[in-house]
Amino acid sequence: MASEIDAELRHHLELRVEELTARGMPAEDARREALRQFGDLEGARDYCFRQDQRGERRRQLVLMLQDFGQDVRIAVRSLLRAPVLALTIVLTVGLGIGATTAIFAGINAVLLRPLPYANPDRLFRIYMDSPPFKFSLSVADFLAIESQQTHFDSVAMYFGRTATFSDGQRADLVRGRDVTWGYFGLLGMRPALGRDFAEADGKPGSPPAAIVTDGFWRQRLGARADAIGRPVRLDGKDYTLVGVLPPETGPLERRQDFFVTLQLSPPPRRGPFPYVVLARLRPDATRSAAEGELRAINKRIFPIWRASYQDEKATWSLMDLKSLVVGDVSKIAGLALAAVALVWLIACANASSLLIARVTGRRQELAVRVALGASRGRVVRYLLAESAVLAAGSVAAGLALAKVGVGLLRRLGADSLPRVHEIALDGAAVWLLAGLTLASLVLFGLVPALHGAGGRVGDTLRSSGRGWTGSVAVRRLRRMLVGGQFAVTTPLLVVAVLLLVSLNGLRRVDVGFDTRDVVAGSIRLPAAQYADPSRTNAFWDELGRRIAAVPGVEAVAFADGTPPNNVDYYNNFDLEDFPARGGRPQPVTPWVSVTPDYFRVLGLKLQEGRLLEERDAQTENLLSVVVDRAWARRFFPNGTALGKRFHEGGCTTCPWTTVVGVVSTVKYAGLDTPDPGTVYAPLSGEQLRQILLRTKTDPATVLPAVRDRLRELEPAAPLSNVATIDELVDQSLGQPRSLAILVGAFALTALALAVFGIYGVMAYFVQQQSKDVSIRMALGSTVLGVLRLLVGNGMKLVALGVAAGLLVSVALARLTSSLLFEVRPADPFVLTGVSVLLLTVALAACLVPAVRGTRVPPADLLRNE
Amino acid sequence: MAVNSQTPPLPLLQGTVDLLVLRTLVPGAMHGYGIATAVAERTAGELAIEDAALYQALHRLERQGLIEAEWGESENNRRARFYTLTAAGRKRLAKETAVWKRYSRAVDAVLQGV
Repeated sequence: MASEIDAELRHHLELRVEELTARGMPAEDARREALRQFGDLEGARDYCFRQDQRGERRRQLVLMLQDFGQDVRIAVRSLLRAPVLALTIVLTVGLGIGATTAIFAGINAVLLRPLPYANPDRLFRIYMDSPPFKFSLSVADFLAIESQQTHFDSVAMYFGRTATFSDGQRADLVRGRDVTWGYFGLLGMRPALGRDFAEADGKPGSPPAAIVTDGFWRQRLGARADAIGRPVRLDGKDYTLVGVLPPETGPLERRQDFFVTLQLSPPPRRGPFPYVVLARLRPDATRSAAEGELRAINKRIFPIWRASYQDEKATWSLMDLKSLVVGDVSKIAGLALAAVALVWLIACANASSLLIARVTGRRQELAVRVALGASRGRVVRYLLAESAVLAAGSVAAGLALAKVGVGLLRRLGADSLPRVHEIALDGAAVWLLAGLTLASLVLFGLVPALHGAGGRVGDTLRSSGRGWTGSVAVRRLRRMLVGGQFAVTTPLLVVAVLLLVSLNGLRRVDVGFDTRDVVAGSIRLPAAQYADPSRTNAFWDELGRRIAAVPGVEAVAFADGTPPNNVDYYNNFDLEDFPARGGRPQPVTPWVSVTPDYFRVLGLKLQEGRLLEERDAQTENLLSVVVDRAWARRFFPNGTALGKRFHEGGCTTCPWTTVVGVVSTVKYAGLDTPDPGTVYAPLSGEQLRQILLRTKTDPATVLPAVRDRLRELEPAAPLSNVATIDELVDQSLGQPRSLAILVGAFALTALALAVFGIYGVMAYFVQQQSKDVSIRMALGSTVLGVLRLLVGNGMKLVALGVAAGLLVSVALARLTSSLLFEVRPADPFVLTGVSVLLLTVALAACLVPAVRGTRVPPADLLRNE
Repeated sequence: MAVNSQTPPLPLLQGTVDLLVLRTLVPGAMHGYGIATAVAERTAGELAIEDAALYQALHRLERQGLIEAEWGESENNRRARFYTLTAAGRKRLAKETAVWKRYSRAVDAVLQGV
């Protein structure tokens, strides 16, 4: 290039010199004059050189793009001629990409992304740490923290509850929070309409104020702009609506309808402890320093309240708000992500195997290309174009699947997953999708492409088409791929089976009574009208009488909790025989307050002593309780619990409470929790009660009459959350069931892919060995012998893969143990069962092509070169 | 073909070199020296493209795809690099000519005005 420029410029200068000499200038002067007239020769030369270079580079690029475009067109045509192969790869890899992206989007929204509040990493929950329990705090605690702390910008607390909302026509149960006035300020949220709570709203005696969510405002207040300042009737009390929240709120507000201010006054005792306390750390404060100060405050106020609270060992700690919101999801999330990623890997391995086989069959054609002048790089690019087209198809399929997957997650997880509304295909998920596609392209495209362009041209051209099976390295690679697929499928299947066995175990757990025809519901009385406890009791008594008279009702009772997992009240007690001394914490068990007929409704057997009676509810102090067998066994294993006494709830000045009866055990803490022992106390008062009915026939037929009776007696008290005990049990199994289905689906997909993989390898192998087979059979070998030879080859692979997979399963067993119920992670039955299943299915997949291979008449094969 | 030595040629405004080169190539293929001579002749010496600038323009226009080059034989049987207009070059010439006409008309209008 440079020499051409020199020639060009030299030509110009020669002509100029000739012109000048023609006019009479002497030669030497002419040359000098020509150079002078030219200008900056060196500069021009360099400039022209660089321009030429740039031009050349551009031309090369255009050529390459044209080549690529052509390759893509040819690749598409060629793939259309092998539609099954193309569709298989696109769909399976697309499934892997889409599912992984969807699960990742879920994990990103729920676990990784910071909470949508202002500076969320400075938000914490203050809780009481009394191992193994974590408790909420009380008004006394909060007031002490508020006045004495120096490391937090602000503190607030809330208490979740339900209330009856009545708008004059109907009454509905709504959910909401009692909050301190600084709650929204702490979170950094501002109402979209109206104003936030102010300090005045929190003063005792101020007019009660409420803020509602956008959903509540739209659905129940008609989205009216003049709703601010008007009253909202909750539990029969009128609250002035001061603000409406924006539609976009955080996870703490998502399922709520209303927020009202707490008006705190100094409490008479330390407890109760129902409040969740939130705090915002100051920018210049550290978490450990703040925790230290909290512990000091706790120690300081302990002696003040010693009369009502004796757990000296309990301390205050901080947990970040995200942990409170997210809970336990991380374990399940990890498992789900691992499962989909493995499916994706298997799909890529399959695709790679299929493409290698395809390329192997075209080696001669490609060798001809090289012989005709194409560079190896060109051949690799040509083969990669095919993989690129497949990858493009996969990404399209993956994107569609990811959208569907995200939609599914949002719908199915609406009740059980936190922050479900934040799950979306956002930037991070799309980046992952792109990354997975690129990785897929490399995984299943590169190896076949390199394999197709490698090797010596002469050898390839000379080898016969059929007999050539590919170099040893490639064959080993394909076999490793198949073995690897089985190694990966095995742990997936093992976990899926373990989850299913676990689920089955949970389903068979005895709830403790005959759950047929028992139905439960909640009734909430409007607070204002039922402030007087005697009026409340009169109402419940009358309601109980009326409902018992409904034909079809065998027995009716009330309680403050229901099986299998709807008990919120856990109380501590100090046993007379084993007092908690020297700072040892008092034992804590679930407490259920019930009316006397409760035992009849559930059909519990009385094992010792007597059941609760009407008179037990009428004493001023708690004198008599009934316990269940689990409680008796836990605290009095050698002897009877009947007649034993304790002080309840840390109250040192109350009279003794006596155990008057022992009944059979019922699950209240969830089907998978070992029974901690339950105490039954007499139920009195309470504006919110659970009603339980045992019906003589199908509960659905009796419910309308029950609702009528309730409405006659109190129209402003709705019957909500109606469900049979069987339905409640089923709901409590929701999460383990979803997980089992999810992992099961992935395991089955992985199995299908792995089987497909071995089938493909086997079919190809049989085809390559067909000459051998026909020779053997012609020489007298039996069909069975030949089959054993062919299939043995494939099954060896599978067996190795499954063995490796079993080792992995055992090694990772501990990680899944927390998700399992009554089955060991390395359960030998499950491991054996899964292995047998895999080997059987693989054997079938190997036999089909092998049998087909023995059917081809030997003469045909031998004749065909 | 004599250069008028009494009044030196006008300095060329930037951007006009490309325009002149493109226009000069309309009749047919030419090498660099020929283009320089043609421009000087046509303007009777008023305009003279500096040689260095001319070759820089030629290679730049070639990179931009407005002209293409080929080695051939000149009148005196010498090897020379001949340039021709491409279709894109013709389009650019038309556009730039129109722009130039508008520009000069506008300036004239101001200069002739009151």
